[in-house]
Amino acid sequence: MSASSPSAVSLQPAVKSRRALPRLLLAVVLFCTLEFAVFRSGWYTRYLEPDSTAGSMQIVLHIERQRYQPGTPRVLALGDSRMALLERVADGMTGETPYRFDTISLAGTHPRCWYYMLRDIDPDARHYSAIVIPLASYQDEDLENLADADVDIYYLVPLLRLSDALDFSMSFESWDLRRIALQDTLFKGLAYKRDLWAFAADPHGRMNRVHWARTDAAAANYAFVGPHNTMEGLQVDWDARKIVRYPDSTTPQIRSGLRDELLRPTGEYTGKRTAYLRKWLGRIVNRYRGSPTRLIFMRLPRGPLIRPYVVNAPTSAVREIAARADGVLIDKDYFDQLEQPPLFRDALHLNEKGCEEFTVLLVRKVTDILRTAGRN
Amino acid sequence: MLFNTPQFFVFLAVVLGLFYTAPHSWRKPILLLASYFFYMSWNAKFVLLLLVLTTVDYFAGMWIERTAPSHRRKLFLIASLSANLGFLGFFKYFNFLAANLETVLRLPSHHWDIVLPLGISFHTFQSMSYVVDVYRGEQEAISSPLDYALFIAFFPQLVAGPIVRAREFFADLFHWRRPENDEILRGAFLTLFGLAKKMVLADQFAFVANQYFGNVSGHAGMLQAWSGTVAFALQIYFDFSGYTDMAIGMALLLGFHFPVNFRRPYLAQSITDFWHRWHISLSRWLRDYLYIPLGGNRHGRLMTYRNLMLTMLLGGLWHGASWNFVIWGGYHGVLLSAEKATGTAAVTVGRPWLQVPRMALTFALACIGWVFFRAATLHDSMQVIGQMLHGARGHMLLGPWYLRMIAFALLLAILEEKRDWFERVVKGPAWVYASAMAALLIAVELAGVTEVTMPFIYFQF
Repeated sequence: MSASSPSAVSLQPAVKSRRALPRLLLAVVLFCTLEFAVFRSGWYTRYLEPDSTAGSMQIVLHIERQRYQPGTPRVLALGDSRMALLERVADGMTGETPYRFDTISLAGTHPRCWYYMLRDIDPDARHYSAIVIPLASYQDEDLENLADADVDIYYLVPLLRLSDALDFSMSFESWDLRRIALQDTLFKGLAYKRDLWAFAADPHGRMNRVHWARTDAAAANYAFVGPHNTMEGLQVDWDARKIVRYPDSTTPQIRSGLRDELLRPTGEYTGKRTAYLRKWLGRIVNRYRGSPTRLIFMRLPRGPLIRPYVVNAPTSAVREIAARADGVLIDKDYFDQLEQPPLFRDALHLNEKGCEEFTVLLVRKVTDILRTAGRN
Repeated sequence: MLFNTPQFFVFLAVVLGLFYTAPHSWRKPILLLASYFFYMSWNAKFVLLLLVLTTVDYFAGMWIERTAPSHRRKLFLIASLSANLGFLGFFKYFNFLAANLETVLRLPSHHWDIVLPLGISFHTFQSMSYVVDVYRGEQEAISSPLDYALFIAFFPQLVAGPIVRAREFFADLFHWRRPENDEILRGAFLTLFGLAKKMVLADQFAFVANQYFGNVSGHAGMLQAWSGTVAFALQIYFDFSGYTDMAIGMALLLGFHFPVNFRRPYLAQSITDFWHRWHISLSRWLRDYLYIPLGGNRHGRLMTYRNLMLTMLLGGLWHGASWNFVIWGGYHGVLLSAEKATGTAAVTVGRPWLQVPRMALTFALACIGWVFFRAATLHDSMQVIGQMLHGARGHMLLGPWYLRMIAFALLLAILEEKRDWFERVVKGPAWVYASAMAALLIAVELAGVTEVTMPFIYFQF
């Protein structure tokens, strides 16, 4: 290091003894204090980029916290981008239901995310009359290993506590993801680093976006009228596993999505999805055990056309869990009437009309379930 | 297992914990096992090579000491040096020599897939210096194979130095004492400071340097050439000195004292001064085991220049098997000889109006040398030098963020040179030390490159 270098000087007797351990501990305490004050206090997470994964999660939860009013009977829908509940349509059904329906669905989220989201916005597990938990299927078909969904780390870092570090990181299967999850849970600055530098590069732009997201995004989402395009004209030769005809004016992206979803091989049963759902749906169920909140499981409309291939899965984690937890499992065929090309905008997502019809069906069904439960 | 990975810090914590809680007699075996584990975590099969070289030099040392001065004694020395240079030559230079022979003899080209064992250039030099010292009678042969194996394999400096002399290492090993509080504080600070140099500075400059040298012809322009080369100059300095700081710091935490390896080389006022500040342990090795045995400056000017050139050419070749490294060494040899010839080697004391231009000129000359060090081919090197000297103006590759980092690093270097801030921090009040450590932790956390783990440059040598 220097002429009077550390190692050279170290050979000479210390002039005065300085106790090393307290100084090292003080350094760690200072670092932790700063980390805690900036990244764990919730101060910085207010300013996360709203278009980022972690930032979008913060905005969704912020909006949900803002609309919470004690005493109002509410139903909350979880889910990913396929959750098609339109709040404005549900609000228009006041004659049919006494409940207010809202959603905190976020693209790419799975039950692990939903568990931590619920823990954050519903700390005493009593805010809602019912929580709707959507699943793509009631059969445990292993299409992807949800335990290793790395996006969960980025979504959830702001919601994780120090006490979650080990549990959360070990919920991943790959050691690499476990390491990243542990690292980001312990040192949140590592996870927010890029966001922080982007903020420093354009603080004014960031503040404007954050302000808009926290004040106006809810109203904009509420008023948003979804895409109107449909999958009409779509034809598939299931035997040849080939799309015979694409709907008119579909983009290459939508065509690729249709091929990926409709022609994909059937997932081999490995038991991983079962284990994952048992774990994370199980945790959600345990949080609401003894609470007045009813958990309602439903199968999402599967697509504009239904794949005829058979899924041989010996288990159904959601059926087991719903039975064990006194939850309600909406009949799997309940939304089948929506599974038609005119109501879908791509391989997986309902279009505006489909969302409206989905909302009406869901509101009626949930209201019915809650009324029945109330009478019992 | 690189020094800049979380796995390494877990390993270090375990080693420190075991070392200080185990009975005294277990400590050497613990360090040796840890060192071999560290080496094997890279490539387990090369541990045999390490064992063979350790065994050869251990016995060479013993036999040389027990044998009266004679041809036989010299044979032991030659056998040991041949083993070391033979392995080094095979693993590091075989393809280079073969390629050159193929070119000269016009044979079809063939590349052998030879993996370079980790740290071979460093541990063979360290091992050779021991055997030569024993031969010269400057070092007693080490009777314990365990002690000798630890000298060769000691994990903080196994892969990239500093090249420690046997007498320095064994003085610590044989008279080991628990580190003083000051040494622990200094060791911890150096370790973290080195990590910050690597992750916050070196790895960020690496992005610019890699971008430039990865596509030299796509970045034509004088400013591109200079800024890309300056980025590499800073990358290699922070990378290597960061590694060295960590090695020295970790050794201190274990009660060992390694020699200084860097003293702010970019504040040097001449190339001679630069080599007194850059990779000092290698310069010292080359001086003691090559330059002085060749005759040093004892046989007139011409022989001095010849010896300087030979030393620097071999020093260049030590870095890597390519003509680029030979040219880099030769370039420095020419500059050192020129400084000796013109009497411009000595540093200016006082008179900052003279010091600053000299520093700037030395830095520029060093940068020109780095082009040969970093460019992938000789053709690329010549292209970069051409752009640096007479290219169109172009634009800077280093943006404001990098310039701020350079200004900050320069300020720290000047403060260290003039005010010795490092010692002030280590010996200062508790809150100063703790704040500096916390600042380094925050810097690594928020400004360190963690998305990818970049290996240390000198690990490849």
